[in-house]
Amino acid sequence: MSRLLVVDDEANIRLLYAEELKDEGYEVVTAAGTAEAVEKLQESTFDLAVLDIKLKNESGIELLQKLVKERHDMPVILCSAFSCYKDDFSAWLADGYVVKSGDLSELKQEIARVLAKKNQRQKAGL
Amino acid sequence: MVWTRGHVDWECCWDRDVVALGDCPNIHEGDEDLLESPRRRILEKCCDCPNFKRDLERFQASGHPLGPVFSLVHDEYRRQKIHIQSLLSFLDSKSLEIRFLHELGSVLQSSVDLEEVLSVALTAITAGRGFGMNRAFLLMVDHKRDHLQGYLAIGPRSYEEAHQAWDEISHNDMDLQTLAQSFRKNKLTAERAKFHDILEQISVPLSTTTHILIKALDGKQPMLIEDAFHHPDVDQDFARLLGVDTFLLMPLVSRNRRVGMIIADNCISHRRITAEDMHSLETFTFPVAFAIERASLYERLQEELNRVTEAHSKLKEQQELIVRMEKMALVGRITSSIAHSIRNPLMIIGGFARSMLKNTPAGDPKRNFIESIVGEARQLEGVLDEILNYSDSLYPTKDFWDVNQLVETALRDSAAALRAKGYESTFSAGSELPPAYIDFKQVSYCLRTILQCDLHGIGHELVMDIDTSREDDIITIRVQDHGRYIPQAELDAIMVPFSSTQEMGASLGLALCRTMLEKQGIPLNALSEPESGIIFTIALPVRKEEP
Repeated sequence: MSRLLVVDDEANIRLLYAEELKDEGYEVVTAAGTAEAVEKLQESTFDLAVLDIKLKNESGIELLQKLVKERHDMPVILCSAFSCYKDDFSAWLADGYVVKSGDLSELKQEIARVLAKKNQRQKAGL
Repeated sequence: MVWTRGHVDWECCWDRDVVALGDCPNIHEGDEDLLESPRRRILEKCCDCPNFKRDLERFQASGHPLGPVFSLVHDEYRRQKIHIQSLLSFLDSKSLEIRFLHELGSVLQSSVDLEEVLSVALTAITAGRGFGMNRAFLLMVDHKRDHLQGYLAIGPRSYEEAHQAWDEISHNDMDLQTLAQSFRKNKLTAERAKFHDILEQISVPLSTTTHILIKALDGKQPMLIEDAFHHPDVDQDFARLLGVDTFLLMPLVSRNRRVGMIIADNCISHRRITAEDMHSLETFTFPVAFAIERASLYERLQEELNRVTEAHSKLKEQQELIVRMEKMALVGRITSSIAHSIRNPLMIIGGFARSMLKNTPAGDPKRNFIESIVGEARQLEGVLDEILNYSDSLYPTKDFWDVNQLVETALRDSAAALRAKGYESTFSAGSELPPAYIDFKQVSYCLRTILQCDLHGIGHELVMDIDTSREDDIITIRVQDHGRYIPQAELDAIMVPFSSTQEMGASLGLALCRTMLEKQGIPLNALSEPESGIIFTIALPVRKEEP
């Protein structure tokens, strides 16, 4: 079972993601901000992280940069209310980008795609 | 002998109070007022009259003791009279010269136009009522190149031309200013062209201190060069270029700053250039040098002023642009902030409604309500996307981008949506396309919108063909949707931004795309044909637009 870390400052969104992604067969751990996310990452390993870009007074992009540097084997999907970040160079560091929507099918597809790609890489020994 | 008036038969009429016209050989018509004025007659006419001289000789021969005294006084009087006349003539010529210099000075002082100043200066040197030289060359100091360079010349190049010009001048009695104006208007360009060959060859570095021109310029004194072809200081090529053996060099110096040089000669009449000519011209060179420098400075000042004015106007435009962009950015920030605030709750409502829907059995009466919530939330999300995209479109950021890569990215992003609708897609990438100058984000968004648009229509096959090609400075992205056909009028109405026939939702996307692209000067056209389906074309520029 793949372990996912969901980082979002909205409690209801964390709840929605957790419920929906658990239904898809993932083990979901949530964090409300950067500090909590770093804490959770130090405690255990994850197969993928779903990050919100705007985290109250913090930036999900900064966390993304940190993760790319320190956990480059863990793919990250950015999930944001802003579609414009999709064409922002910093956002290109992420493995996927999804605009927040009540319809989580795009997010689910993206998670499946990114995990499949990760598995392929691991199998290829890259 | 008794010396009384009327007693002796004198040859001259000096002893008569009144004489008739013809009595005195020196009184002619026009001198009638002298006939009855013996005093004026004696002073003005008798002293020079041979009859009077003979009378005086008779008087002297008579042995009268005053005879030699009178002769002495008479001779002295005549000598003084001649001297006074020569002084008067000198004064007259000086007075004319001063009048001319005054006229010249007032023209030179009032002008800040370099061409006018030069026209006046050269006309003054060559005009008959001025210094009357045949030909004059003006050389200017090019401070950037440190050269003394031929600039302008005036005068005839042949006898025929000289006679024609003098004839013309004698028929038109013009003052200096009128002459100069006429020269500037009718002859300046022609004279410049006429002497172009000579002027072009006169180019002397200021560092060549041995050259006669630089010597004169550095010495700040006029020089009369005679026997130029054998002059030790004169470069023979230079003498041959001028073609005269006598010429005058007059340096133009203003406030110790070397401005230029005037070369004047009498190449046609060969009239001797005198020291007087040189002194007169020397007086003239100072105001000319000053006027040339002032006009040059004014010209430069004018150029600087134009540059400053242009910079000011650009700055003003930039300032207005910044203010506009700040306003737009503010609008964008507000829109984004509102959209963000709305999207999260909307997502939670829609998301949980979907979760509930999944767990609600088909026959449950609550299912309809939940479906409504899901549907409305979806529509609101669509509207929100468009508002955000519109706020993005307010400030495009253009750069050069690879169009084929852009299409491939859009196709990859739309793959899932196309698959979901059962569409197949093909892409034929144009070869060797140059990069297009566009806002990548906006064009990507528009292409994705076209690929994923939810137009309702009936078509033949669910295929989307995309190709790119180049014609001149335009790269065209062509998207042919074989899967749909709607009447052209309906399609046109859909493409009109915010038209009253539209509903907010997916179809608004196309109109928004057209608005967004038009702001970048990129046309988006849509053509609907029953046989081919809907064909969208986007024409992208490969060059930056002219400012």
